[in-house]
Amino acid sequence: MNVMVDWGRVGRLLLRILAALCGGYVLAALASVAALALPISKPQAVLTGMLASFGVYAGAVIWVFAVRTAGRAWAGLLAAAAPLALVAWMVRP
Amino acid sequence: MSHLLPFMLCLAGFAGLAFAMDRQQRNVIGRPLKAAATYVLRVVGACVLLCALGLLVTWNGWGLALVIFSGHTSLAAGLVYCGLLAYVKMDAR
Amino acid sequence: MMHSVADEDEPRLTGRGIRQSMSQLHTWAGLLLGWILYAMFLTGTVSYFKDELSQWMRPELAYQAQVPDQAAVAQRIADEFSRSIPGSSQWSMKLPDARNNSVYAFWRTGPRTPGSRGGFGEGYFDPATGQKVTARDTLGGDFFYRFHFQFHYMPVVWARWLAGAAAMFMLVAIISGVITHKKIFIDFFTFRWGKGQRSWLDAHNALSVFGLPFHFMITYTGLVTLMALYMPWGERVAFQTAAERQQYAAELSAFIAPGRPAGVGAPLASIEDMVRQAQDRWGRDNAGRVTAVNPGDATARVAVTRGDAGRISMSPQSMEFEGPSGRLLRVRESVGAAAETRGVLYGLHLGRFSDIVTRWLYFLVSFMGTAMVGTGLVMWTVKRRQKLPNPDHPHVGFRAVERLNVAGIAGLSIAMAAFLWANRLLPQSLAGRADWEIHVFFIAWALTLAHAFVRRPKAAWVEQLWAAAAMLALLPVLNAATTSRPLWHSLTQGDWVFVAVDLMCGALAVIHATLAIRTARRQPARKAARKPSSSPAAATASRQEGT
Repeated sequence: MNVMVDWGRVGRLLLRILAALCGGYVLAALASVAALALPISKPQAVLTGMLASFGVYAGAVIWVFAVRTAGRAWAGLLAAAAPLALVAWMVRP
Repeated sequence: MSHLLPFMLCLAGFAGLAFAMDRQQRNVIGRPLKAAATYVLRVVGACVLLCALGLLVTWNGWGLALVIFSGHTSLAAGLVYCGLLAYVKMDAR
Repeated sequence: MMHSVADEDEPRLTGRGIRQSMSQLHTWAGLLLGWILYAMFLTGTVSYFKDELSQWMRPELAYQAQVPDQAAVAQRIADEFSRSIPGSSQWSMKLPDARNNSVYAFWRTGPRTPGSRGGFGEGYFDPATGQKVTARDTLGGDFFYRFHFQFHYMPVVWARWLAGAAAMFMLVAIISGVITHKKIFIDFFTFRWGKGQRSWLDAHNALSVFGLPFHFMITYTGLVTLMALYMPWGERVAFQTAAERQQYAAELSAFIAPGRPAGVGAPLASIEDMVRQAQDRWGRDNAGRVTAVNPGDATARVAVTRGDAGRISMSPQSMEFEGPSGRLLRVRESVGAAAETRGVLYGLHLGRFSDIVTRWLYFLVSFMGTAMVGTGLVMWTVKRRQKLPNPDHPHVGFRAVERLNVAGIAGLSIAMAAFLWANRLLPQSLAGRADWEIHVFFIAWALTLAHAFVRRPKAAWVEQLWAAAAMLALLPVLNAATTSRPLWHSLTQGDWVFVAVDLMCGALAVIHATLAIRTARRQPARKAARKPSSSPAAATASRQEGT
């Protein structure tokens, strides 16, 4: 068994796993709050955000492992999260 | 009755679609069919499936029909598959 | 773990990169929580017939050939409540229908006092007499149903989070599985016999692709059923006042918040009349539930909610009556678009709208999904074994997965059969009998895990599959020996519930026996690969034999 561990590779993998598990969840949560900005009543907006959130989470996970580098994975998540966070911040009562 | 006929149509449809595949033609009759015959099988198979859906929609409305159609097609595809498996196995003996 | 040659940053070669990364994602997403997913899938599959199973597990309750008059039953039980729990601030009963021959009800044992939750009670009632049923204490099919999303022996919220995590892993596994399956249509009817890992892959693919609409739907809708737990953030940000929260809650359930009782006693008006109005609106057997808040008080309210038939959505539809007068206050029949969407998704997961054929379709395709997860888990070990540097001494990770597969798959069948055995054998007078049936389930499962670690993998598989087959095959015999409802009796009486359960046990026994026989015959493919220098003919022959 090869005992020479490539810590660089392990590190990059861990970054991706972190991006997928945590980053994906945060993105989905932000999306579910940003949904309040939709031009529909609050209860319906809340429900829409919840319903869609799992698609966002799954999409984020696929993205994280589909792109070429761990850096790109995080960059993509942050790029998507920034406008959502802005909207979420603006809709808070 | 309201389930049996659509299900039989799904079976027939998938049997047609299966038989429109090169590999299955070789399995069952030992040689591929003419391109025209394959094309006809594919079209007829698809039409028969759509007929099944149409019947279900007429009898049950779109919502229920889509759910029931999904169930029938999954099961029918599986049965055609098992049928092909059994045929190939018996043929091989 | 990444492909061995290329550095992680190497440019992709004509799309091969994404298929490879999705393939690895699919493998790990499926494997890490695979045994939990298998258990969720199998118990979920069985849960589509949980009410029937519950009937089988309470043989003291007579077969119900026809649904009794729901209105009369509701009145009987409401009268029983006013007799036995007069101080209760709330009760709720589920009326009998085609699949349930008893009434399940729960209640608060006393008045609501600020700061105290009060006691809760629950029980099963005989529709004919309105009295609590005298049947063996058991959770029935509801044990598998509850296990499916909240397991056991752990706080409910943790368990639901675990189930949710497993569902997310499943969702990712499905999506990555589709992306990585390049020839999804070309391969549609392909199967290659006797090719070891290739055959397992074909089986896994067939089960996955044929049931793909269901698998994707069931996974996503599963997350939707508990979405308020997993994604509460929008709700928390949006609603500040209790009124807003109540208005939101009304989109999701027919629950009436009880107001403060007036302290003035007033008997409830005719529940029978209320339910009749519901029957007129929704169908003779389609009044679902009757809930009363502050019964016996002047401020009492009664809600009759719609049964399951006739629509997919489970969004609330109810008729609300003033308790003492019986006057119809309002009919709630529609909710907003997103709420209705959520209602449909919820309804799709539970499948309660189904007629009997559709219910069987749910069951069979869900079974395909269970087998999909199982074949995936087994395929991993088959594939990995070929890559082992030393197949006779595999590393501990591989050994663990192999053994966990046995206990997680075959062992679960044994545990579920043991649960039914316990239902027939445990003495009726045993305290906590319902809990003990569940303990037996887990004890049996633990024993299969121990067995799997002591025996060699192939022997473990064969022995456990045979054990499951035997336990399932003997269940109808056990039923005949311990109850007055043997199979021949049920057949002549037209008791299709008992017939179906007995026969299903037999069918499942045959499946397990078949698997046991095929597993016993299987020659490990690696034996051929191990001897490259011996005659190629011998190697080919043994490979062909190794189906």
